[in-house]
Amino acid sequence: MAALICEVVYRGIFQKNLAARIARGIVLSARKSGRWGIAFGRYGDSPQRNGIPAKDFAIVADSKEELEQNMARYEPKHTDVTIVLDDTLAKGVESWAWYGLQPINRLTVPHGTVLMTSLQSFDELLKDIHKKDAIYTLALVRARASFSGLWVYREDHTEVRILGALARIAPSFLTLDGVGQAIKEIEWGSDLKVESAKKAYGRIETREVKITEGSAEIPFSFGLPKWWEMREGVTIPAIPVGKPKEGGKGYVPERNPYFKKYTSRTMRPVIDFDKCVKCTLCWIQCPDSCFDVMPDGTYDANMEACCGCGVCEAVCPVEQCITMVNESLFEDNASQWEMWRTDKDRYQAWMAGKIGDKVATVRSHGFRFRGQYEQELKRDLDTGGVEITAGIPGENAQHKTV
Amino acid sequence: MAETTTFTNATQILEPFRGVKKVTIEEYFTSGHRTCQGCESALVMKLMVKAAGPRTIVLGSTGCMYVANTTYYTTPWVVPWMHTQLGSSGSAALGTAAGLKALMRKGKMKAEPINVIAFCGDGGGADMGIGAISATLTHKEYNSLILLYDNESYANTDIQISGMTPFGAHTTFSPPGRAKRIMHTRWKKNMAGMMAAGHPECRYVATVCASYAVEMMNRVRRALTIGGPTFIHSLDPCPKGWDYDPMLSHELGELAIETGLFPLYEVEDGQVRYYGKTKAIVEGRARKPVREYLLKQGRFAHFTEEDLAYFQRKVDAMWQTWEIPAVVPFKRLDATKSALGAT
Repeated sequence: MAALICEVVYRGIFQKNLAARIARGIVLSARKSGRWGIAFGRYGDSPQRNGIPAKDFAIVADSKEELEQNMARYEPKHTDVTIVLDDTLAKGVESWAWYGLQPINRLTVPHGTVLMTSLQSFDELLKDIHKKDAIYTLALVRARASFSGLWVYREDHTEVRILGALARIAPSFLTLDGVGQAIKEIEWGSDLKVESAKKAYGRIETREVKITEGSAEIPFSFGLPKWWEMREGVTIPAIPVGKPKEGGKGYVPERNPYFKKYTSRTMRPVIDFDKCVKCTLCWIQCPDSCFDVMPDGTYDANMEACCGCGVCEAVCPVEQCITMVNESLFEDNASQWEMWRTDKDRYQAWMAGKIGDKVATVRSHGFRFRGQYEQELKRDLDTGGVEITAGIPGENAQHKTV
Repeated sequence: MAETTTFTNATQILEPFRGVKKVTIEEYFTSGHRTCQGCESALVMKLMVKAAGPRTIVLGSTGCMYVANTTYYTTPWVVPWMHTQLGSSGSAALGTAAGLKALMRKGKMKAEPINVIAFCGDGGGADMGIGAISATLTHKEYNSLILLYDNESYANTDIQISGMTPFGAHTTFSPPGRAKRIMHTRWKKNMAGMMAAGHPECRYVATVCASYAVEMMNRVRRALTIGGPTFIHSLDPCPKGWDYDPMLSHELGELAIETGLFPLYEVEDGQVRYYGKTKAIVEGRARKPVREYLLKQGRFAHFTEEDLAYFQRKVDAMWQTWEIPAVVPFKRLDATKSALGAT
């Protein structure tokens, strides 16, 4: 008698369909391997928002009875395999207010596995992942984070590569043969995808993580309100109005202290304060009010409030004044303006290093124009990536001119 | 003899912001809301209360801007805010305005002009709440603003069709298939035009888009200054339901205006006044083709040339055949025209 409990941690909406395919794929592969399974989403993540971390679960068991035993839970308290579909989630996740920062490996059992899609090295990732008081395995599938939207799916084989890798991690529950049969049968499957799963099975990279390894950051946390504090018609104190930055100049708004939103971020703005013309557009167009007004009239993005949408870069009229950079290149949420004020030359050097990294700055999170995913996948193929299959659901390709 | 006069309460006089540098620096809707990356509706909330100022009460019917903005016993609101049911933004606005007026008349609170703003989504406003909004717009003794933030679907509950969803869009209720491509064949309601045409004593109706922040805020300030019930319709690009990169939120708002799909205008005391890029279109600037707008969104990814052409024809008709272009679709008969002496 045994069960395999998996969680799939993903970016809300951007990876919703991807995570659902993986969770369902695990169950179907389990059936083909002679096991029983169930897949379900975390109720508390609904309604989902773009970028906000969310979870799906898949449970595989030897028998129906054991599966039912595992189903009699609201959500699993521990998981054998934590599947992470974007490596910037390694910094921890926060789904709702009061939730605090939850380390990505929090539910992983001792000697369990964190399976992640990433192009980073193990050492780089372990700067982000919090320390755990038990040994576990970090397993990597070498792939860029696969982002798309609700309606147009990006057919880059990420779902089958995860399934292939999982067959290697938990062979007593999912056989590679069973995974292959499931992929062939499923409506989005193909022979090519079976090949991709087999390749991922062979190419998975693993490393054991010791209890001394990982980020030493203490994740922020809150005390949840008790049940007797939750009443009908309750009144919540409003946020105070904020105050000048310093010396009566500038302005820093007060912010919701119980929800920080920065774990939604996959990119962050890097600002060249020397180039800023103080036009106010980033400040006025930011939906999250994350820009603080500095005493000199420039705008500093507060890194606890910024969720990385990129609107500021889009509206900024000055070239390379605001540049969105992959979140994985940063260690903390420190103020860029303070760094710039302290030492302008050092800041310029730091900034050049961040925005000069072209691999890291190019990070698309969604649909920009029709035909974009096909173009990107073709480019990937030209540089040694997987072959693509036609795949916009409901698309009548023969009638279409892009 | 009982008094029968209907008087309008004094309102705050909110002069238009003369340029982006003159905009209020304080935030009355701040960070810490659980909205999507690049959520234009959150931006509308922020700009709406920035324009209205601190002496404002905000009422919100169910929708994204309720659920996301009150994540688990917390709030990003600086001004007082209250939740109301899906279809009752109009009732809440009227009731709050009437309550304030009664309390002030009875001396139970200091008499001062307080802005009352009720917001609703397109589902709560254009579908469920339209009756209550309509009723409120006939009560000219009470000062209130109803702001409809229109992201063109029930976005909170994962994108179902509303009366404001555009033709052909992919939603949970209208997934395109191989046998049948277009599953949503209805054209979107014309809310602002309907409200302006149908409520002769409502003094101010406007359409806004948050991509033009200062112009948007000045419409809110005008609506609050003029008094009586007023209505504003805001078009909000929605990265979740429209399926685009959140970075494009601002650009899609601009494209909706520049293609002529969503006109910017205000109707003040019956006078239609176009403004911004829409004014330029009325004065002769060419509209951009709608395909530039449609093909940036995943919800229209299944469109063929035929669908794009149909969409363009419908937009062209708004500008070429409507009596008041892009505002109301009436057409006068030639006989009526000559009888009225019009040319």
